[in-house]
Amino acid sequence: MKVTFTQVTEIKIQEAIFIMSEPAVKRTMKSNTPAYFRKAVPAFLFIFCLILPALSQQADILLKGGHVIDPKNGIDSQMDIEIAGGKIIRVAPDISSQDAKRTVDVKGLYVTPGLIDIHTHVFVGSGQGFADGFSSVSPDDFTFKAGITTVADAGTSGWRNFPVFRKQVIDRSQTRVLAFLNIAGNGMTGFPSEEDINDMDTRMTSLVAEQYPDIIVGIKIGHYRGNEWTPFDRASEAALIAGVPLLVECHLPFLPLEEILKRMRPGDIYTHSFCVASDRECLLDEKGKIKPFVAEAKKRGVRFDVGHGGGMFHFDVAIPALKQGLIPDSFGSDLHRSSMNSGMKNMLDIMSKYFNMGMTFEDIIFRATWNPAQSLRRDDLGHLSEGSVADIAVFSIRKGTFGFVDTGGTRLNGDRRIETELTIRGGKIVYDQNGISATGRIDSQGNRF
Amino acid sequence: MKKCCSSFLRIVLSLQALLCFQGTIPSYGQAIDILLKGGHVIDPASNIDAPMDVAIVKDKIFRVAPDIPAENSAKVIDVRGMYVTPGLIDMHVHAFHGTDMGSYIADGWDALPPDGFTFRAGVTTVVDAGSAGWRNFRKFKEQTIDRSQTRILAFLNIVGSGMYGRFEEQDVNDMNPVMVAYMINRLFPGIIVGVKSAHYWGPDFTQVDRAVEAGRLANVPVMVDLGEHHPPLPIEELFMKHLRPGDIWTHTYANAPQDREVPVDENGKVKPFIFEAQKRGIIFDVGHGGGAFHWKQAIPSVQQGFIADVISSDLHTGSMNSGMKDMANLLSKFLNMGLPLQDVIKRATLNPAKAIKRTDLGTLGEGSVADIAVFSLREGSFGFLDVRGTKMQGTQKLEAELTIRSGKIVWDLNGIGSPAWDAMPSASK
Repeated sequence: MKVTFTQVTEIKIQEAIFIMSEPAVKRTMKSNTPAYFRKAVPAFLFIFCLILPALSQQADILLKGGHVIDPKNGIDSQMDIEIAGGKIIRVAPDISSQDAKRTVDVKGLYVTPGLIDIHTHVFVGSGQGFADGFSSVSPDDFTFKAGITTVADAGTSGWRNFPVFRKQVIDRSQTRVLAFLNIAGNGMTGFPSEEDINDMDTRMTSLVAEQYPDIIVGIKIGHYRGNEWTPFDRASEAALIAGVPLLVECHLPFLPLEEILKRMRPGDIYTHSFCVASDRECLLDEKGKIKPFVAEAKKRGVRFDVGHGGGMFHFDVAIPALKQGLIPDSFGSDLHRSSMNSGMKNMLDIMSKYFNMGMTFEDIIFRATWNPAQSLRRDDLGHLSEGSVADIAVFSIRKGTFGFVDTGGTRLNGDRRIETELTIRGGKIVYDQNGISATGRIDSQGNRF
Repeated sequence: MKKCCSSFLRIVLSLQALLCFQGTIPSYGQAIDILLKGGHVIDPASNIDAPMDVAIVKDKIFRVAPDIPAENSAKVIDVRGMYVTPGLIDMHVHAFHGTDMGSYIADGWDALPPDGFTFRAGVTTVVDAGSAGWRNFRKFKEQTIDRSQTRILAFLNIVGSGMYGRFEEQDVNDMNPVMVAYMINRLFPGIIVGVKSAHYWGPDFTQVDRAVEAGRLANVPVMVDLGEHHPPLPIEELFMKHLRPGDIWTHTYANAPQDREVPVDENGKVKPFIFEAQKRGIIFDVGHGGGAFHWKQAIPSVQQGFIADVISSDLHTGSMNSGMKDMANLLSKFLNMGLPLQDVIKRATLNPAKAIKRTDLGTLGEGSVADIAVFSLREGSFGFLDVRGTKMQGTQKLEAELTIRSGKIVWDLNGIGSPAWDAMPSASK
């Protein structure tokens, strides 16, 4: 673990305070400590004076009075959060707003780590289809208004066109965009080109994954209509070589589910988990029971992602599955052009679905932050630890009468909906639904106050 | 025999047409595809502001009347307690999204495909405000217009390369009224509805004049975003001498007097010639954007009766996550400034339709295309930001419940058009 500057200064300061406030100890030290150390004390005090201003470092933003839910750190209580230089510098009760350049009153609201959507298609471009095309969407158009600060692209690009994806979208987005690399060299180019087994190169895929360790978080096997295992195995091997998880987006109609799950390693991710689709076996049997080998895989550490999309989430699978304990590890939205206006809408709406299906809010936040961060093996994300990047979401829970739609076009009635109030990415306010961070106020008559 | 048959048929058909036209009884055997039942219809074009049902057949509005019987309807949607309006028209967006790394708006990253913003805010038609010029309009059409579900119309930039870059937009030699008029009249009369003049910083009205000339040749309105001029150009002269009645001034409530003259003076008074200009027929457009809507201009204007004719978003990457957000949010701002709902809806349906001379849109008239929005009016405590980050507190907010485009449901926030999941045969069996 990296020790940040802030932490270093804190340690030194604590030492210094200890020394100054204990004259007895100081005296003892004088007589018993070696000369070089005694000489070091004034020097140390001098350094302390230099870093004193850093101690009283002004917070750029103070989120005051909110209920913090940070599952990684076991926090589920009222806390204030101080942000400076793009980082979280302090999480504690009752931080004085005196030192903050901007205080945002978040009383009555929930403060959580910025959400992580591990299943999106954001390689938007001017072509048709997904890779570099119109079927993908720009992440920033959808993320911040849903409290999301990190997305993972689910293999829209392959090793050949990842550099284009990076230049065209990843580097230009405010959202943090991570990526699974498709085993197909050009990613999701559609049928039949993405089925070309000769363009599924284990070595090249793993090499490119290793070349961008800060962006590429896994390898994806997505579409294949043959009955041989070569594409699957190549993807799995590339993941093994690169030391990243395999994402199985199961459009693999001729491969039996039991064998697919058997070939997955602990930590690998299965997506589109709760659907009935013609190109895959359902996780539930005809009686609505979880198939034994699915439960086995779950126990072994295979992770199950929602991957809602425009056709991959059905209440009559998701609800029985949840009741039997097959709980999604992440709420991947499968955001793309034909899911964005459907029952899916955004990941937050999926979370509201599970909220109304009976999951607790705390558990939902866990499965939208720290748990997906672990799926992506990105321990630096999905939490509010001091020193970590200030990716933060603020939510309200709205009570009322709501409906939620699955991809079969059926509705679940609900009485609560999670709504985004504020999103902070890298310490910057990137979305503010109701102006809670406003710097000035005016009434409808034009009077400022 | 044949002749007899056909004349008989003609009589039957005309009878049927007559019945339809009168709207007293549903036409013989006519099945309604979607019936919106129990809502409050606001259709300024038809002067309707009353509880009414709306029946849709295929892609058209079939009937708007009280208590249409539900029997013949394939789908009945209960919209009690909600407002049913024409699909909104957002007259100012930048939708020419693309991957040209050298460009900002034309085929660039600052523009965005509209479908992710429109339907969820009740918008069914957008008008691109000059992202493309005559040189790259075909690309815009192929790349975005033809692929979008939202109806995309456009103002063609007077600059041939559209909004490629701030410097390219200064090229007077690339402002060719004849080419622009050809593009509109000869090639795309159904899509291009006007000419745009924007972002010019030359010392005079050259760009506006060229745009107006193109507008004259093509018989379409001109939309002016005056750009930045140092010293600022006199807008009274612009409104009274350079523009024609029906031409459009956008970014009405922007407040950057050092770059562009503003309607409200330092004492908070709307300048008298502004009212004159509006009386003359100059259309005022909001064009909120990421930097062009200030309470300091908007609130005194509304209070003194200078209300923008058209409420529009100036949707682009730089405005989408700002105080603007979307059209529903924008309309809510005007509601909370004190405008009645009917008036607000008019400024996002009938008024823009008239401004772009497309009165076939923005109406629920029987026989017109079934572009419909259903809103709920949420009561509570809401904040609305202007581009300076100043908040106005409000008590009302429009929320798009259902959006129908050409008779197809394209947005359903709460599944009011869906059956309950446990009332259906299981998908997993």
